[in-house]
Amino acid sequence: MTVDTTTDAVARDRLGALTARARDELVRFLPLLIIAVLLVALSLRNPDLLTVDSLLTMADSAAPLLVLAAGATVVILCGGIDLSIGALASFASVLLALWTPALSGWAAVPVIAVTAVAGVLQGWVHVAARVPSFIVTLGGLSLWTGLALALSGAKTVPITDLSAFAWAFTRVRGLPSAILVALALVAVISAVMRLTPFGRWVCSIGHAESAARLAGLPVDRVKIAAFGISGAAAGLAGLLLVARTFSGAPTLGDSLLLPAVAAVVVGGTAITGGHGGLGKTVMGAFVVVLLRVGLSLIGVDAGVEPILYGALIVIAVSVTIDRSKVAVMK
Amino acid sequence: MTAPDVVRQRTAAATTASAPSGGPAPAADRRRAPRSAEAVQTTASLLALLVLAVVFSVLSPQFRTLSNVVSIVDAAALLAIVTVGITFVLVLGAIDLSVEGLIGACSMTVALLVANSRTGLDLGLVGVLATVLLGAAFGLVSGLVATRLRIPTFMTTLGVNAVGLGVATLLFAGVRPVIEDAGLRAWASQRVLGVTVGSYIALGAVVIGWLVQRYTRVGRYAFAIGGAEDIARLSGIAVERYKVVAFAIAGAFYGLGAVLATAQLGSGVVQAAAGVNFSAIAAAVIGGTLLVGGRGGVLHSMIGVLVLTVLQNGLILTGVSPYAQRAVEGVIVVVAVAAATWPVRHRLGVVK
Amino acid sequence: MTAAPALSVEGLTKRYPGVTALDGMSLEVRPREVVGLVGENGAGKSTLLKTLVGLVRPDAGTIRVRGEPVALRGVAHAASVGIGMVFQEQSLVPNITVAENILLGAEQTCVRTGIYRWRELRALAQAQLDKIGCTVSPSARTDTLTFAQRQMVEVAKVLTIEERTSHEPVILLDEPTSVLESDEIATLFTQIERLRQRASVVFVSHRLDEVLQVSDRVYVLRNGRVVAEANPRTVGAADLHHLLIGREVDGSHYHDDAQKPCDGAPVRVRVEGLTTGGCRGVDLEIRAGEVLGVAGVQGSGREEVCRALFGATRALRGRVTLDGRPLRLGSPRAAVRAGIGYVPAERRTDGIVPPMSVAENLSLSHVDRVCRGPLLQPRRERRLVDRWVQRLGIKTPSPSTPIGTLSGGNQQKVVLARWMLCDDLKLLILDHPTRGLDVGAKSDVYALIRELAAAGCAVLLLSDTLEEMIALSHRVVVMKDGEVVTTIDTPPGAKPDPVVILEEMV
Repeated sequence: MTVDTTTDAVARDRLGALTARARDELVRFLPLLIIAVLLVALSLRNPDLLTVDSLLTMADSAAPLLVLAAGATVVILCGGIDLSIGALASFASVLLALWTPALSGWAAVPVIAVTAVAGVLQGWVHVAARVPSFIVTLGGLSLWTGLALALSGAKTVPITDLSAFAWAFTRVRGLPSAILVALALVAVISAVMRLTPFGRWVCSIGHAESAARLAGLPVDRVKIAAFGISGAAAGLAGLLLVARTFSGAPTLGDSLLLPAVAAVVVGGTAITGGHGGLGKTVMGAFVVVLLRVGLSLIGVDAGVEPILYGALIVIAVSVTIDRSKVAVMK
Repeated sequence: MTAPDVVRQRTAAATTASAPSGGPAPAADRRRAPRSAEAVQTTASLLALLVLAVVFSVLSPQFRTLSNVVSIVDAAALLAIVTVGITFVLVLGAIDLSVEGLIGACSMTVALLVANSRTGLDLGLVGVLATVLLGAAFGLVSGLVATRLRIPTFMTTLGVNAVGLGVATLLFAGVRPVIEDAGLRAWASQRVLGVTVGSYIALGAVVIGWLVQRYTRVGRYAFAIGGAEDIARLSGIAVERYKVVAFAIAGAFYGLGAVLATAQLGSGVVQAAAGVNFSAIAAAVIGGTLLVGGRGGVLHSMIGVLVLTVLQNGLILTGVSPYAQRAVEGVIVVVAVAAATWPVRHRLGVVK
Repeated sequence: MTAAPALSVEGLTKRYPGVTALDGMSLEVRPREVVGLVGENGAGKSTLLKTLVGLVRPDAGTIRVRGEPVALRGVAHAASVGIGMVFQEQSLVPNITVAENILLGAEQTCVRTGIYRWRELRALAQAQLDKIGCTVSPSARTDTLTFAQRQMVEVAKVLTIEERTSHEPVILLDEPTSVLESDEIATLFTQIERLRQRASVVFVSHRLDEVLQVSDRVYVLRNGRVVAEANPRTVGAADLHHLLIGREVDGSHYHDDAQKPCDGAPVRVRVEGLTTGGCRGVDLEIRAGEVLGVAGVQGSGREEVCRALFGATRALRGRVTLDGRPLRLGSPRAAVRAGIGYVPAERRTDGIVPPMSVAENLSLSHVDRVCRGPLLQPRRERRLVDRWVQRLGIKTPSPSTPIGTLSGGNQQKVVLARWMLCDDLKLLILDHPTRGLDVGAKSDVYALIRELAAAGCAVLLLSDTLEEMIALSHRVVVMKDGEVVTTIDTPPGAKPDPVVILEEMV
């Protein structure tokens, strides 16, 4: 096997930068294309699909997923991964159900604070002990699940105060409030990333962490912040789930981990970090939802869904990953 | 001036090469043989085992009984088989997150192939063998996708896990297949010298795993690949091929574990071994099979299995909630990984 | 002797963007002789070796083994025709046994139907070790060996080539002594003598006296070709050195006239007792406007000093004051805020973020210059970037072009601009700043360094060549084995000969 010398890397670099541009263009349009294709295909099958009402309902069902995926995007852009988001959402749902009797709808504030702190804690362990992020968050997954199970007694905890979170599951001038909340979150995160240096810091760290560090960037703080954002998003996702199920449960959000990751990578954000963004994740979330709707339209068994996510993730990562950055693929 | 007469004028006009980002190791450091991180980890876990045994013996009189020792061994059986499998992957320096999906699919498969309440099949041992092969096939897919498409293994196996879960759900089709095959049920119910048949099978799996690791090419090359993949490649080793084989072997062990889990549960279950993926990783790391690859091995991992099983057993006997156990396990594995890399953490490059 | 040479190359050429590594190189290695190869960094030594062992494919030229042309497909293929290399960087897998390493990939009969036969493996490995009289046990785990022992195991490993081909092998040794002590070097030379009886050896080193001691013939490489063939019996190290360097030192290349003296300037940086993993008790002083060079061979600790000052490596002990105020050696972030800049040696991985734009890379470290409060000010950034692109002559289609598409020289200018735009830059640490740059770009960088120094910034400089360091610096500190051994003045107008410094680096 022929290995290039260091100076070959200069050529590779130039070529890499160009093909990265080309790939970026492709990746940018592909999800849009897929959405268009899916919409057409599905509406052929079921013409009622393209009505405003049904589209809005689909958007509504996508909201918790989008919130989770938005938070996860920031972490993935940094080059890490957060596998605990589903468990954190479940944990948040249990806390909300337990604290609503005392705090009514205001329970949302401390709960999201708790999940944000949980995220910060995971991020801190990752940077301080140099433990790979997937291990820290995998451990976190167990921890939050265990806590959720213990606090809820492994049971669903119902919420009797129906008005507490009504704002998160209602319609505002015909638009589902949940998706408005989700899009608002996306907008806020996007704004912070674009209007402040945070966005370019995150991307530098994702692309070239050692260069970012040597340029004096606050690498550790940015990473911790990213995990904090992911945690807070998970808390918000838990809230959206509670709003529509009127209860909290220790496994309520677990099944959202896979689709959330799928949304991020299908949208075009690279697992290696740096490339991608929130707009892409929004599109990815819609692709995932459309596929889910499509599957149930065709009348396929529920078991096919995870298979699809699995295959989707593998294919999307394979297309978007930046192989030049990883010398040895482990 | 002739060469031998030259006073050692060491010319270094071309002062050499690049310093790697971590800085060159100073002369003194490079002479000392580095203290093996895995030796430290293994000693620490043996100590931990001892401490746990002592603490729980004090806290719970029931812990000290022979029958409890037997139940520890029985409880460890499933984890042991799965951990043997995942050891092969970890030694490569890769990770396997597909265990639970794979076990789910295999559990449903074996339940439907042997005498059961849903299908008319009665394949007995052949059914078990077929399931092990199915596990190997899943592992093969993981390995092929990771090496051919060149995707990090944690992503690939996350995907395969989803596929496995999907297959399991499809096979489940809403009706639980109860095992009627007496031979398979015996794995969990029949005892020889007090210990279940399943535990002997686990022991056999450990022995086979160790033999493969010590005496076969895939076993030895896995260490070389995990320790220094680029050097292994330069030496002409077909790295991709051995990675795929290692994943397939791991899959076979998961398949065997699925059979045992099914015997223990009495029926095919989609979530036949929830949480076992994480426990297996935890056990391996605790025992010294570090995540970086090239370290530890089957026997090391078994120490970790014992530590975890004793911990779980002790926590149950002292009345700690099983949910707290999950939480504790999560913390433990992070601590174990952190502890393994703590002494060298400043020398680590970029950790993603 | 009419027998064909064991190994010969004719017209070997290899080009990379911006640099021609091999430029029609031709040389030969005869049977049972030791050939030395010397040359500066960039002369083509390592590219030639990589080509010979199959790691790099040449653009033009022929490689002949025993007279027959071969097209090498890789290391394993090279081994099968009898060429093997002992790499400069360790090429043993640390966590397996010595026996496994020696026979890695070539276990042959020791592994039958996939099953290892350990006794045979160990016996075969022992036979290899016996060839060079090495006493290491084949069952030992490789990472328990000392550096010198590992080197011997590598030689034993290379010699397995003898079993794979029926002819005498050609063994390439790439800087084998750079990490050895003198007694270990003597052992190595004995091995080379032993090797000479059954193989040809190519010995590459920058230590001229060692090359002269052990070789039968010496080739001098420069700019990718052979410029001289020397007979060790008649040529000495100093002569070789002059052949190596060759070119006349041209004052204008280094902008000598722009170097201003700094004798009366206040001390900007004071380092006392700096100790890290790689250096001990380092004391330094740099005045405002002074360029301080640090010379030393690999392992001297000079890179560690730079990284510790910038906070990129942990310092175990030591005090540093910057303009009289104590500097906390914590992290690069703290250093940047204190007014220190660092241009790393590995530009591609440590210096730039390749897919991001020139503008983003330029403003990366002092992003507060283009912000108002927490918000980015795109217009302010645009003005800043335009100004610096013009001032430094950075050739880029636009400020939003990804920096990865620029040439090395232009990339380096962006990195320099990143620090220069800080009005309050007190100290700039330059780690091999002209590596990989063409002549024109180097000259531009020298001009910038002069400009910085003239403006009062203190500069700490590590260079690839002594010549460059002497030309640019006011003083040169020499380090050896982690300690400062001496300081030599190199004021403008009174530059010493490189040999003066070289002697101290021993």
